[in-house]
Amino acid sequence: MTKSPTPAVRTEAVWKTFHQVAEEVHAVRDVSLVIGRGEFTALAGPSGSGKTTLLNLIGGLTRSTRGRVFVDGQDLTKMSNRELAQLRLAKIGFVFQAYNLLPVLTAMENAEFPMLLQGIPVEDRRQRVRELFEKTGLTGLEERRPGKLSGGQQQRVAVIRAVAGEPALVLADEPTANLDSAASDALLDVMHELNQELGVTFVFATHDLRVMERSRRLVRMVDGAIDSDEVRA
Amino acid sequence: MVILSGHQLQHIAVIGLLALRNLRRHLRRTLLTALAMIVGGALLMFSLSLGDGTHESWIDSGVRMGAGHITIENPEFQASRKIDDRVSADTRATVENALREPGVADQVVARSAKIVVQGLASSAAGARPVQVMGVEPLAEAEFSTLDEQVVEGRYLEPGDGLAAYVGVELVEALDLRLGSRLVVTAQDANNEIAGQLVRVVGVFRSGVPSIDQALVHVPLETVGAWLGSGQDVTNVGVLVAQSRDVPRLTSQLRMSLSGLIESGAIRVMGWREAMPELSAAVAIDDFGNYLIYGILFVIIGFGIVNTVLMSVLHRHREFGLLQALGLTPRQTGTLVLVEGLILTAFSAVAGIGLGVFVTWYFWGDGLDFSSMMSSEMTFSGVVIDPVIIPLFRVARVGQALLFILMVGGVASLYPAIRASTIDVTEAMKFDR
Repeated sequence: MTKSPTPAVRTEAVWKTFHQVAEEVHAVRDVSLVIGRGEFTALAGPSGSGKTTLLNLIGGLTRSTRGRVFVDGQDLTKMSNRELAQLRLAKIGFVFQAYNLLPVLTAMENAEFPMLLQGIPVEDRRQRVRELFEKTGLTGLEERRPGKLSGGQQQRVAVIRAVAGEPALVLADEPTANLDSAASDALLDVMHELNQELGVTFVFATHDLRVMERSRRLVRMVDGAIDSDEVRA
Repeated sequence: MVILSGHQLQHIAVIGLLALRNLRRHLRRTLLTALAMIVGGALLMFSLSLGDGTHESWIDSGVRMGAGHITIENPEFQASRKIDDRVSADTRATVENALREPGVADQVVARSAKIVVQGLASSAAGARPVQVMGVEPLAEAEFSTLDEQVVEGRYLEPGDGLAAYVGVELVEALDLRLGSRLVVTAQDANNEIAGQLVRVVGVFRSGVPSIDQALVHVPLETVGAWLGSGQDVTNVGVLVAQSRDVPRLTSQLRMSLSGLIESGAIRVMGWREAMPELSAAVAIDDFGNYLIYGILFVIIGFGIVNTVLMSVLHRHREFGLLQALGLTPRQTGTLVLVEGLILTAFSAVAGIGLGVFVTWYFWGDGLDFSSMMSSEMTFSGVVIDPVIIPLFRVARVGQALLFILMVGGVASLYPAIRASTIDVTEAMKFDR
């Protein structure tokens, strides 16, 4: 993946406000953030700090109350739901806390699902998925359904699904929260390797110290706003 | 014409795959709903065949006792019932030629030219109003079933002169027996009252009181000589193999006889026009049947709504995930719709297949309802046969399939809308 002057993500004074019975809750407050291509960034903070909401805003899963969000130079705030779905398909990969594999599909089918929707020929997508299975130690598990895989294996399939379509950006929401330390380390190794080798941009929402330690940029959030933004060597 | 791109076809294939896998995943729920629809579909198909068989039996009985599936007569005759409004021998010959034309002749099972007049039958015991029907014995024996309903004596035969075939109740009323003489009186072609002596050669019981009390068959030649009408007739009746062919044949005859129709010499009527009471009875019965099918399928429809909606409510998170992965809201709704339609289509085919099998099973001997009928039932000159033979029509398969698919589609629509309008982030929050 070649470097481009257009950042992978740019937010301009983004707010997300939820209207509750008696009050307004600002889940994200005035967040302006630029994430360059190939970055390995963690959004950290305690529960309720707004990191997942910011991730959802960047992924076009929810809409901002104010401000603008750009992914790969495209303004999400001006897009219809259909256009957002198409953007997600073409440019964004997701990894969720609860793995979220489709139970009716095999590991291979789950991993190739976004590529299937993208219309990538079967030989190409199978080859790409097999390579990634090999890289992540999942070879031999291709035909297993999610119910027959461990948590760590499921999450690795989810990561492959997120990166296989070569998106501009992978958003991972608490990807290690349900994993033990060994599985977490293994998963982080995989993501780090993919970031290094393929240049995939990763943005994590996490409160896992291991993820924070391995990220090259750490954005701390408190009460919906950016508290600190630290780039590591 | 809508042309789908390879990309769109890929999406459709993905949606189809997911739909099939989801139906298989909840196999018990799928099979239970399918079972309800299969039974419903089989019931629908069989009752449509049974209804069609019943109606065909009514129509057959009605048209054989009456003027035929198609009748060609003077335009005024239906209202006047007078000999003045008859079809001349020349016109009759033209009509009979038209019935021999290719495309018509092969559909005609029987035809009978007859003269029908209102008159009076008298014997030493009294007099009764009657309908005298002048018939060609062989043609009428093919056309009507009355010759088979003889209780004494025989039906008219070629060469019979002063012979009469009389209803059993008229025989009792006029104290007649085989060989008895009776005088029939009617208005002749010159507007004079004319009488004719005939002898009873046979007695019939049709089961329809109005016919048994008042119908007298006399050879057409005898009537022509008696009333001075010669070879003229009041109508030419035509029987066809299946009543559904009547509209097409009627149109064809109207075209080939257009000259006579335009000159006012004749008109060509299908049985619905000639026998409006029978047509209304069939329509009312159809309406009742359709109402029952409607109610049955509303109930089945709720079953489908329940199954598909339950599936949607249990899969909120999955639909959220699919949209996060790039499926559009419309595609998510389509997935649910396709699941409902696959389930419906499978069940419809199986149900209709079962219905066709049951129809085939009862096709030979029919269903005997005689134990449920206390005596012979009649209406509008039609004897209701207690043995109903279901009638299979290919068009009914298409109609039933379309109807069940429509019910399945409509029933899946609401769950599909629910699935397409979910809030993705909310759906992803909870493990359901």
